[in-house]
Parts: sequence; structure tokens; C-alpha cells
Amino acid sequence: MSDGIRPTQPEPFAAAIAATAAAGRHGRDLQSVNERLRNLISSLRTEQTRLEEWRTSPTATPPAATPPPPPAAPPPAAPPGSSDQDRRRLEAELALAHEAAAHAREERERLRAQLSELEQENRRLCDQFVETQEQVLELAQRFVALSRLNGARDRTEGLEVVQEVVINLIGSEELAVFAREEGALTLLHTFGVSADRAGRLAGASGALARAAREGEPFVASGDAAAPGEEDLTACIPLRCGAQVVGVIAVFRLLGHKPGLSASDHAVFDLLADHAGAALRLSKPARAA
Amino acid sequence: MDPRQDAQDRGGYVMERKKILLVDDSSTVRLMERMILARQPYDLVEARDGQEGVEKARAEKPDLILMDVVMPRMTGFEACKKLREADETKAIPVIMVTTRGELDSVETGYAAGCSDYVTKPISGIELLTKIRSCLGE
Repeated sequence: MSDGIRPTQPEPFAAAIAATAAAGRHGRDLQSVNERLRNLISSLRTEQTRLEEWRTSPTATPPAATPPPPPAAPPPAAPPGSSDQDRRRLEAELALAHEAAAHAREERERLRAQLSELEQENRRLCDQFVETQEQVLELAQRFVALSRLNGARDRTEGLEVVQEVVINLIGSEELAVFAREEGALTLLHTFGVSADRAGRLAGASGALARAAREGEPFVASGDAAAPGEEDLTACIPLRCGAQVVGVIAVFRLLGHKPGLSASDHAVFDLLADHAGAALRLSKPARAA
Repeated sequence: MDPRQDAQDRGGYVMERKKILLVDDSSTVRLMERMILARQPYDLVEARDGQEGVEKARAEKPDLILMDVVMPRMTGFEACKKLREADETKAIPVIMVTTRGELDSVETGYAAGCSDYVTKPISGIELLTKIRSCLGE
């Protein structure tokens, strides 16, 4: 507003001069603008004409100054507000998918834990089954041994039963049976070992004599054995009441048998309690 | 009432009972085998030596034979060969029951035609497993 205004001029005159000057300058500006508009319109018309000529003649080369074609038209505009609805719908679906995935992960973990529990239970039941079967086998062995010993009618049959029990239930094919009378051991029967070899065990200081004297079974522990007793696995005193009436010497176990088990010790106990009676009681019966 | 018939009447499945021939000269072993196979779906027949075992096999047509090795009159290996030579018994599976677990004994058993073997003292689980395997159960 202060352009060209001379502050030193008196007010009314100066204002008139300034208004005249401004009007003149505005007029020149308008003329300049009009001129530029006319030029622009003329240029647009020329460009429009050239474009129309190019469109009506497809074989014609496009004009050099023609601008590149406009980008592909956007898809039809969605109704107002539909993009928001879609976004909300997609967000809701995504949230549901996340929730489903989390649920699936939880379910997978739950099933894994359940499977692990079932495997543990299966193992436990398998172990229990094996343990039960071993107990059943042990009871069967006891029943068989007892039944056979009680069924012996004389000493010979009793010795056969002892031999069968040792071979088939204990698992040794080397044994000897001694009778004890007035403190002395007498060899009654051998299987798998010679009478000489078995007889050498009957010394007063050996494991056999000790088992007969004390009435307690001897089981080789794997420590250094006494001379002549290297192959000895067990000595089982045969009791008849409070008296020891004989001893069974069990030598080497069968090659595939790693060692004595709890069920073998149970059979030893059974032999100790019943084999002696079978041998002793059957003796007078045959003599009669 | 017969439990098998009762089960069939109710529409249930009844496992067919198989017949097993126990061949051993030891009464203790036969009794032990009976104890192990008690309550199993098997009918048991016994023979006391290899020769009687062959005769019983021809007469009874068992589904499986448990055969001892060392027996009077005819060993288990000889009996097994005899069974394999006869058309009527050659397909019967034979499980040798032996105290001799060494390799040569096992090889002799397989050469004689046995299907499998178990060693004494008999393990109940092992015996049942091998019997079921031989019977395809």
C-alpha cells in the first residue's frame, strides 16, 4: 500500500497522486495478465487441435509435444464409508485369526502334554505288566517245585525232582546232592559234574560243610573263591525241621544266564524247606 | 452256560482256541509250561519224548509244538526233522525249548526246521511272545 507513496507530500494531493499511480499500475498488471491468458488459451487451442487430429488418424504419429497418456483410471469409487467398513471387517477377521491361532497353539500344547502323560502311563503299565508277569512266574515256579517235591514217592524220585528243579527253574546243568548223617556229608547224586569233583567239596572247611553246619545257604558273591570252589554258585542246606539232613551244591549256571535272581533265591528257600523232608520222609517208605 | 457261546450270542468276537503240543520228558517243565499258558486261549496236549511227540502231532494236528531238545528215544532235533518230512505236519511251527543257548545248538535247531527257540529257565513273557508270533496273533 505504501508503494510510490511519498510521505513528504501533503495529504490530499499525495493521496490523489497515489491513487492515480496505483490505478495505472493495476491497469498495467491486468493488461499483462490478460495478455498471458490469451496466449495460454491460444496455446491450448492449438494443442487441442493437434490432439484431435491425432485421435482421428490412428496411423498418424503422435505429436512430439503430446504429453504421456494419463495413468489408468482408478477402480470405481466405493460408496462413501465402505473402505472403513472393509478395514474394520478385515481387522476383526485378523483378530479372530490371531485368536484361533493362539487357541490352536494352546490346544497343541495341551495335546502334547496329554500325549506325554499317556506315554508315561503306558511305560508305567508296561513296567507293571512285566513286574506282574515276573511275580506270576515266580509263583508258578514255587508252585511247580512244591508240587513236584511233595509228589516224590521215594529218595530216587526226590533226587530226580531236585535235579529237574535246579536244571529247569534255576538254570544250571551241574549239581550234586549230599546227605548229612551224624555231621558227615555223603555224596548221593551228581549231574553234569564228576563224583570226584563233587566229593572234593565235602571237606570240613569248605562252603558246603559250612552251609550244612550253620543251616544257612551259601551264594557265591563274586569275590575270590576258595581253592576247588571256583565253579560253585550256591550251597543250599536241606532242612527237616531244625535238622540239616543234606546239602545241594549248584555249580556253574547256564551260559545264557547272567546270574541269580530274586526268584532263584525263592526257589532255593523252597528247596531248603521241602527237599530235605522229601528225601528224609521218602527213605523209610521205600524200605517198607 | 458256555462263556464262548454266550459271547458269540451277544455278538462279541471270540478268539479261536489254538492247540499246542508240549513235548518234554520232564514233568517239571511240562507243568511249568502249563502254568505259563494257563488262562490263555490254548488247548494243551502233552508228550513225554520226541517219538511220542511226532505221533501226537500226527494225531492231534496242533497249531504249534513246544519241543524239548534232550529227550529219550528221540531228540527234539530228530523229531523236528520227522515232522518236516511228513506233509501233514511239515507246516506246524515248532519252538525248541533248550537249556543250550549257544549258537551251535540254535543253528542245529534251525537246520532241523524249527521256527524259533526259547531257553530254559523259561521266561513267561518270552515264551508267550514267541508263541503269539508263530501263531500270527
